[in-house]
Amino acid sequence: MIIFKQWRLWVSLLLLIGSYIFIKPNFESQTSDSKINFGLDIQGGFSYLLELNEEEYLNNLLVKTSQYIENTYSISSSIDNGEIVISKNQNLDALTNIVIQNLGLEINEKSDKENSYIFSKQSFNKSLSDMTLNAVEIVRSRVDFLGNKELSIQKVGLNKILLEIPGDLDNNVKEVISKTAKLTLHLEKNNIVGSKTFINEETGEQVRVQEIPNITGDFIQDASLQYNQNEPVVAFSFNKEGSDLFAKMTSENVGSRFAIVLDGSLITAPVIRESITGGSGQISGGFTNETANNLAIILKSGSLPTQIKIIQEKQIGPTLGQEGVEKGVIASIIALIAITLFMIIYYKISGFFTVITIISCLSLLFAMMSLLNTTLTLPGVIGIVLTIGMCVDANVLIFERIRENFKHNIEDPKNHGFNSAYVTILDSNLTTLFAAIFLFAFGFGPIRGFSISLIIGIISSLIVTYIILKLFINITSIKYLGLQR
Amino acid sequence: MINFYSFKNKSYLVSLALIILTIIIIFFKGLNLGIDFKGGLNFEVKSNLTTNQLNEYFDFIDSDREVLIKREVGSDVFSIRIESGNNNPVFIEEIKNIIDQNPDIEILLSEYIEPTFSEELIKNSIYALASSLLVIAVYVWIRFDWQFAASGIFALLHDVFVAIGFMSLFNIEFNLTMIAALLLIAGYSINDTIVLFDRLRSLTSNEENKDNFETNVNNSIKLNLRRTILTSFTTILALLCLVFLAPVNLTEMPIVFIFGVLIGTFSSLFLVLGIVGDLNYEAVLKARDS
Repeated sequence: MIIFKQWRLWVSLLLLIGSYIFIKPNFESQTSDSKINFGLDIQGGFSYLLELNEEEYLNNLLVKTSQYIENTYSISSSIDNGEIVISKNQNLDALTNIVIQNLGLEINEKSDKENSYIFSKQSFNKSLSDMTLNAVEIVRSRVDFLGNKELSIQKVGLNKILLEIPGDLDNNVKEVISKTAKLTLHLEKNNIVGSKTFINEETGEQVRVQEIPNITGDFIQDASLQYNQNEPVVAFSFNKEGSDLFAKMTSENVGSRFAIVLDGSLITAPVIRESITGGSGQISGGFTNETANNLAIILKSGSLPTQIKIIQEKQIGPTLGQEGVEKGVIASIIALIAITLFMIIYYKISGFFTVITIISCLSLLFAMMSLLNTTLTLPGVIGIVLTIGMCVDANVLIFERIRENFKHNIEDPKNHGFNSAYVTILDSNLTTLFAAIFLFAFGFGPIRGFSISLIIGIISSLIVTYIILKLFINITSIKYLGLQR
Repeated sequence: MINFYSFKNKSYLVSLALIILTIIIIFFKGLNLGIDFKGGLNFEVKSNLTTNQLNEYFDFIDSDREVLIKREVGSDVFSIRIESGNNNPVFIEEIKNIIDQNPDIEILLSEYIEPTFSEELIKNSIYALASSLLVIAVYVWIRFDWQFAASGIFALLHDVFVAIGFMSLFNIEFNLTMIAALLLIAGYSINDTIVLFDRLRSLTSNEENKDNFETNVNNSIKLNLRRTILTSFTTILALLCLVFLAPVNLTEMPIVFIFGVLIGTFSSLFLVLGIVGDLNYEAVLKARDS
């Protein structure tokens, strides 16, 4: 039999078996890394795009760097408008070019009296990006503690975080992700110099304390919701270093008050009755179960490096997504049937081959999408529709070329026609493929969803036309292809 | 046999008229920018109320803020779009509460975008579009000649631009998903164009008939005519199914794309090869001989 001599037959079988293996996990219940995920616009859910404050981070970094220079090289500096200004009336020998470079700084302006430095774009962006990665972990642990298991969270751009949670809305999520959660403890101080007054926004209580915190929340190891005489409180414990600081502070200041401040507002200001050596404490003050639990979650996840702003918020009810999928699937099936009917009527047997090619193309596409763990969104579905269009177009081009060659009595019309048409198909598909790759690299959201399925789709279409369609053309005598007219 | 090449000057006029018309429409009607590009609040809701009744809920909003309520054709789904201004969480909560707490309104989708972020999205989309256009131009230039690259890019921009005019004329919302639709038109347009280029190249490289450029152009189109019509037809067939069956908030996209397919078919049949000819491609062919 001629068919068994075709290498394409074996490759086709391999492709089909491979597709089957990779598509299969999608229909099994257990979670797997090689499955197609559905975007929120399809399965419903909510998403937040968070932005960390770049300016605030720059300021923090400037302060930190300036302090580092002072501590390490005993060179004092001031910060002015995003620059570190170092006056020349001190010994600057230690500040070599290599040191400056390692700090990520570059010289901005030189004068007789002083030099000013700014962060080089590259080093600042790297640092900003690292900070965001760190913040991603903090946000992830906060949302994890609330018990959301299927969330997807990723860094977007330099200072943005995209958080997507399928399913119903949990109002606590917004609460816990948007708090910076800078917890600080300050001792009471009565002179004006170096002091600051914090106010409790609910009770109006205020207390004057020293401005620089004695202890920060960075030392907190664990926090949880507990009850003190049936009233919900937040219990926390410090790590070793924090415990020592806390013990020292409390033992030296028995009888005076200290303030517990969260994100700049006073929570409570208890009096120190005795020295606390265990390294743990409680915060009480008008909590409900929910607010106490949220605060505990925030404290144990650590504070975010800067304030966070929600710049995009989306909530898609399950009905819309469900309706979209059902209607979309029905529409696609009807469209497919319409196209296949038309192709079979117009091209007879060849049209039937097109149907097989399209189905193989779709299987290969879904197999690759599963393998790559792609997220399928509605724009992605549109990309798939375009892919089917291009696949049909490839078939039409090939059939028309073969027919033309047949009509002009060109030798070996099937191979000749296929090969010359395939060059055209390569040219047109590769153009679209390269464009899609660039769209994927630079685009955002829907544009990315669209381009990823287009990229995978074009590749599958090129493969199945070359292997499977050609196989059918090879094994069918030209008389039966239905292209003679 | 239709002499496509002889139509080219008339086609330029048609295309010029379309471009001018698009500019006029966009100038007077503007683009119906969605919140992706303008920032603000967007809701898709299901309700038995009328548009006017819904409007009354938002009467308290300052008149300088745009409030747009539109019923999706043939359904009880409304889209509500409200401008919020920058950094205005109180206003956003207020609007959300009004809609949330109304028993007659069921929220299908709610969305908020900070205006500063939408500016970034515009920039981002432009980068993405510009870079992929550049890639197309470079690829076509490498595979063919610069005349082809110029003509192909012109046709692509022409098709996308006129489609934007179509969207403006029918007040179709311009958002990130619509950018995907425009990309679809661009992809379709360049695909169609390259198939013709390929044919023209193979015809002009044939010793026997390379001298008559006009005949070659006509033959390229003629030999591909059946394919162009078949492909357009099957694509439109598929899209029509989507128009009637897509979820209510997505019906506009296939309509725009159908228009794009039609305009793309026009430009590939009547414009692209004419432009290649007028860019003096014949001289390139002659130079190659000597």
